[in-house]
Amino acid sequence: MALLPTGSAMAQTVGFADAIRILSSSCGNDIGKYCKKENLGNNEITQCLQANESKLSQQCRADKDRVGVLLQERFAAQAAVGKTCDRDIQQFCKLVKPGNGYVLRCILKAKPSVSNACNQAIDLAGYR
Amino acid sequence: MKTSLFLSAGTAAAVLVSSLAFAQTKLSRDDIITSLQGAQTKVEISASELRQQALENIKKYPGDNATQPLPLAGKLATLRQFNVEITFDFDSARIRPASYETVGVIADALHTPYLMGQKFFVVGHTDAKGKREYNLDLSQRRADAIRDALITTFRVPAEQLEAVGLGEEQLRDPKNPNSEVNRRVQLINVGFDQ
Repeated sequence: MALLPTGSAMAQTVGFADAIRILSSSCGNDIGKYCKKENLGNNEITQCLQANESKLSQQCRADKDRVGVLLQERFAAQAAVGKTCDRDIQQFCKLVKPGNGYVLRCILKAKPSVSNACNQAIDLAGYR
Repeated sequence: MKTSLFLSAGTAAAVLVSSLAFAQTKLSRDDIITSLQGAQTKVEISASELRQQALENIKKYPGDNATQPLPLAGKLATLRQFNVEITFDFDSARIRPASYETVGVIADALHTPYLMGQKFFVVGHTDAKGKREYNLDLSQRRADAIRDALITTFRVPAEQLEAVGLGEEQLRDPKNPNSEVNRRVQLINVGFDQ
């Protein structure tokens, strides 16, 4: 096995807070101007920015799609954990009752024994 | 002037934020987790019952301000919880972009294995300015807006969250009913579903 930096240094996804902060910092002014009625939920802001694309600041236009991509990457990373960690779960957490995050918490505790791939998947998912 | 509920934008909020700047560090995911985790079993408490109690409190004890705590207040106080400040437009349930990050931090916390599968009430509170019925309705719409953002934008499983608006019926500081500290969003862990 190659020498790798600690697991978290390999993480390439960002958390939801860090992702959405890009939206408010890059598009906050445009949202204030063009999306006065729209709320964060139900895709309202994204659709509003899309509809007003031509009027947006350069910064907002450059960053708004990146926010969506970052959120998607985190969702995908979370969805991938079960498969990537399947063997480790069988090996280290077989007796743990499934549901409510019990199995993942077991995998977190077993970090020193768990495979690099699984540990990395856990980092990418933001579970640690 | 009737300022907005929870934290308003504008001068009042600016003053509050600057005065707390040193006492309060940045909201962290792990602080939320630490405060909310550890619920063992499901709590017998329903969101609709809580909403109903707030409404009945206004009917039963009318007047400018609430004089009685809600019957469920004692039980709620025993549960794992965390207060956050989220700013909204004046008289509106529209979350200000400045608070998107806060909603994101809550989402980060709820997605972790430490809080996964547990059920949470998102409870909106106002200060005592304005009419109680109005505040009750506005706080419900604001709690709904936070829940909507959490379950759509951040894909927190919908069954994990219930939105409850309590208006000014459960003040944090009843001696100072108009104080900003009363405007808040409480996250309350009501335990596991199964």
